[in-house]
Formats: sequence, structure tokens, C-alpha cells
Amino acid sequence: MSHAEKATIFNKNEAKVNWHDKALWYVREKRDNAAHNVKEWEYLRDLASAIKANVLSDLDTYLVEFEANALKNGIKIHWASDAEEHNAIIGKILDDNNAEKVVKSKSMLTEECHLNPYLEAKGIEVVDTDLGEYIVQIAKETPSHIVLPAIHKTKEEVDELFQEHLGTKPSNGNPEYLTNEARKHLRGKFLKADVAITGVNFAIADTGGIVVCTNEGNADMGSHLANVHIASMGIEKIIPKEAHLGIFLRLLARSATGQPITTYSSHFNKPAEGKEMHIVIVDNGRTEQLSREDFRASLHCIRCGACMNTCPIYRRSGGHSYEATIPGPIGSILSPGKDLTKHSSLPFASTLCGSCSNVCPVKINIHEQLYKWRQIIVKDVKQPIVKKSILKIAGSVLAKPKLYDFAGKSARFMLKYTPRFMIYSKLNAWGKARELPEIKNENFDQWYKINRKK
Amino acid sequence: MGRDSILKAIKQHKPDLLPLPEIDGARFDDDVNLLDIFKHNVTLVGGSIKEIDKTLIDQEIKKQFPDAKSIVALAEASSLGTISVNKQTNPHDLATIDLAIVNGAFGVAENGAVWISEKESIVRVLPFITNDLVVILSKEQLYLHMLNAYDAISTRDRSFGVFISGPSKTADIEQCLVIGAQGAMSLTILLV
Ligand code: SF4
Repeated sequence: MSHAEKATIFNKNEAKVNWHDKALWYVREKRDNAAHNVKEWEYLRDLASAIKANVLSDLDTYLVEFEANALKNGIKIHWASDAEEHNAIIGKILDDNNAEKVVKSKSMLTEECHLNPYLEAKGIEVVDTDLGEYIVQIAKETPSHIVLPAIHKTKEEVDELFQEHLGTKPSNGNPEYLTNEARKHLRGKFLKADVAITGVNFAIADTGGIVVCTNEGNADMGSHLANVHIASMGIEKIIPKEAHLGIFLRLLARSATGQPITTYSSHFNKPAEGKEMHIVIVDNGRTEQLSREDFRASLHCIRCGACMNTCPIYRRSGGHSYEATIPGPIGSILSPGKDLTKHSSLPFASTLCGSCSNVCPVKINIHEQLYKWRQIIVKDVKQPIVKKSILKIAGSVLAKPKLYDFAGKSARFMLKYTPRFMIYSKLNAWGKARELPEIKNENFDQWYKINRKK
Repeated sequence: MGRDSILKAIKQHKPDLLPLPEIDGARFDDDVNLLDIFKHNVTLVGGSIKEIDKTLIDQEIKKQFPDAKSIVALAEASSLGTISVNKQTNPHDLATIDLAIVNGAFGVAENGAVWISEKESIVRVLPFITNDLVVILSKEQLYLHMLNAYDAISTRDRSFGVFISGPSKTADIEQCLVIGAQGAMSLTILLV
């Protein structure tokens, strides 16, 4: 199904789409506040972008340096060319340790490699321990956002899922009650796990260490309790020096959720005494992306999700409409590189407003790359698919004026919340980046309370 | 094997060498009151913070956590510990800890984070698995931002260390912030 067709399905539930749209825009606003509070924010972005560009231009050297330093510290290093090798390596480590129970913390890479079904087929119990990921796991779905995996679920839906899977009492979706029940359940899983699998936010060449960032503490609960810790990382996660974390950690959480830093930024340099630590370094299409001059910079991505939160199309079409592990603007650049025909509609799921590029902490020229993919697709992919995509995007996702009626006649509210292309369409906003004027008249919580009652 | 083919593909595809940028740290300098900003940010991220006389620490902790029974106190300023731990302690044995009292190495003003390494926590899982976490921190040990913080730990003995900013939290159910996810339910910083 094309992005537009999927988006049409998502748009059937108007109240939910409106909520999704506003919730993500609210996160975007929190990001703005956080960024404005940092002296020399733009300089930080410049530095981060330049460091990443340097990394890509010398990636093999940094990876070898990282490996040597990690080995020195007693960490075992594995290399995987693709998803299949990645899964096989992890399968073998589990076999070697007679492991039956695995806890996982958030890792988009293991999603990309479809690790869970692989392990489950081997008879291994895998539990996703990030609350959002746990919710989508028991719902038998995939994350719809890389930072907020269950943003597409209402609290009532979570309530029902928990009743079924955790035996909770009906609570009308009380977030505190549900979170606490999940905490109790996951505690048991942490304490019984043989192996913990985590992602990697940054891998540091000059120390051979890795940094994992979470708000929930689930990566640490898993990795410090289990006897074996396996961390999976894409080759692009490397940064040259530990001191560079001083740049990236200042940018990451502020861009992601507006927090000044995640609750936990954990630095793993050596396995704990008597324990094992493994790092799996994965290519899975990344070297190919590196070869594409126009799209190479997409490998700068630090997975903050800011481009999704700000994107008028993402907000109104939902992450699942992209049918890819990484949705949203950045996903729409990465996915066509993997399968151009399957993902040919994604580069058209954009107004090219440029908002994604404006917020990206590592300054990826996302909207320009989307435009470049379009040119390739128009040449290389069968025309009917393309035409259908272009026509349908605007039609199904954005051009439903009725959807915007909920705020009554408040023009100021409309101006604030309507995707910019709706506002600027007469001015031909399709090719130009414009910022919405700053208008503060109602915060999300107020909006939320009023609109949930309707 | 994966390793050689990956490295070969990178060599083949990587662009011409681009320089690593010089970081002009002076641009981030700011003439501000570190203590005020730190306090503000600890509260912002859901923690609580109090300046206190060293001799009153235990009294304060008892007042704040009257029901805590299983207590690990690694900070020498507290004698409330009921359970002792050492490097050989099985982390699973800490599953029912009510309260952990540890020293923080230093704090970071811009984000309210404290650095706690294995030196301070002895058992890595302690600051996460404990129900409540109290960190004793010297107010002399504050840095403005993360670049300064990394300077401060650049020559450490590296095993495990963590920046902790507030209690564990999640907003995964309809973006409603809930304090107390998988890690500690609360974080209290006592400044001495
Ligand atoms: S492309 Fe940029 S904004 Fe989007 S997730 Fe990656 S780092 Fe964040």
C-alpha cells in the first residue's frame, strides 16, 4: 500500500488524528523552548554536523580504533553485514549461554533486523522493556515513532491491552496505575533474564565505550542484572572522542522531548566483574547509503525524532503509514535506499516545507534529499505509482478542512495548529521554508482537556 | 566475514577526508550562578533538592523516608545503612532495597544531572533498582554544562558511570508524564 492509502486509513478516526497531530506539535514546542534556553544552540548543531561529517569521511579508521579499545577493555566485538548475520550472531551468543529469557531495551536497529521474531522462532522469550515498546509488543504492532513508540495508541487502548495481558483492573486508562502495573511486571522479567539486549546511542572511538540513553532506566535494569549484555549498533553510531558527547548529549534530549538531558545517560566501558559484554556492529545497507553522495548525510541521524514531531504529514498520517522501521522525514530518505519500488511513495509524503531540516540537531538537509529522491523516482519507477502518490498525499492527508473545525472560530488557534502548508498554500509554501508565527494562547493540556470531553 | 567486507565497502564509498572541527569552548561560557541553575534544573526534571548541614543528613533522610527499612548507605555522611554491599554482591539481592544513599561525584547545572560511577555505587544496578535514591553532593562540585563535565571525567578509570537527571519517568501512555518507570521512583539531592 502506498503512504497515501495507509494515511487514509489512519485518518478515519478524526479525533485520534487530531490528538496525534497536537500531541506531537506540543513536543515540537517543548523542543523549541529547550533549544532557546541554550547559549550557542546553533553552534552546537554546526559542531555536531561537522563531527558527523568527519566521522563518515574516516569511518573505517574510527571503527577499527573503537574495536581495538573495546577489546582491550574485555568487550567482545562482532560484525554483521546484514540483518540475517546480526540475528545469527545474537542467536549464537544466546545458545552459548543457554539463554532462554531476554529483556530488550529500545533499539531501532533490532527492529530493523526483525530480531524478535527470529528469537521467538528459536523458542526464546523476548520482552521489550521500554513502556512504549512493551505496549506495541503486546499489541503485536511495531513502533510508530522512534522516540514515542506507542504515540498512536490511546490510553483506553492501553488499558484494554493491559487487562488482557497483565490482568489489570479496568481504570479508564489511568496512566499512573497502568505504568505502575507495567513496572511490577517488568521487574519480574528483569530479575529472571539471562541476557539483556540494548541499542547504542553513541560509540566512542577513543575509549571503546558506548553510551545508552533512556528515561525509564530499563536499559540499566536489564544490562546490570543479566549475566550477558549485548549491544547492537549501526556503523554510523561512532563518534571520535568521548569529549564529543558534551556536544551530542546537549542536543539529543532537547531535540527529542525538550528535556535538558535524558534521565539516564549510561557509559559502558567494561563488563562488570564475572559478566560478559558484546557489541554487534551492523552494516545492513549503511555502506550503500554512504556511497550515495546526495543521501550520505542521512547517516548523521542521532534518532531524536524531532523531524517527525514537526512534520505536518507525519503528524496527520501516523508512523505506520510509512511501512518502515524509521518513519517520518528521515525514514523517507533512508527507506528508498533500501527498496526503491516498495518505498517510492515516501519521498512524496512531504510538503517540502523544510521544517524537518530546521529542527534537525545534526543539520541533515532532509527536505532537499526528499526532493532528490523524487527526481530519481520519477525517472526510475513506473509512472502510475508515482502519479497516484503525488495526487493522493495532499488529498487524503491534509485537505480535509473539516478536520480543522474542532477549534471553533478561533483564527489564532487555527494559525497555531494548522500545518503550515494549509496556511501558506496561497503563497506557494511548497518550495520554501517558513516558520509559523509565535502565538501562545492555549497550551496542550488545556486543549487536551477541552477536546477529550467533546 | 562481515568485518573485512564492511571495512572494505567503507573505504570504497567514503568521501574525501573532512576535518574534525575545533571546539571553541569559550563560546559556551556564561557568567551565571551555577548553584541556582542546578537547583532549578533538578526540580525541572522531577527531582528534589535541598541544601543541608552535613550533620543533619540522617535526620533529613529519616524525615523524608520514614518507612524505608532496607537501606544501602554508601555515602560516609550517612549511617542509616542496614544492608552492606561490596563488589561481589549479587545485583539480584538488591531487588527489595527501599533506599540507596550514595555520593554524587559532581553535578551539571544545565541539566540537573549528577555523575555517579561504579566508584560511588559499588554495584552498578544500585541507583536504578532502589525504590528511592538519595544523592549527597558537594555544592563546590558543580559544572556549567556537559563539555565541562566531560573534561572533569576525562582521566577517570573507565568501567561504568552514569549521568542521572531526576527520577525514572515515562510519558508513553498518551504523553502523560508518570514519575517512576523502571528505575528509581524518586531522586533527592542533598547539597552539602
Ligand atoms: S534526521 Fe535529524 S531530526 Fe530526524 S531523527 Fe535524525 S537527528 Fe533527529
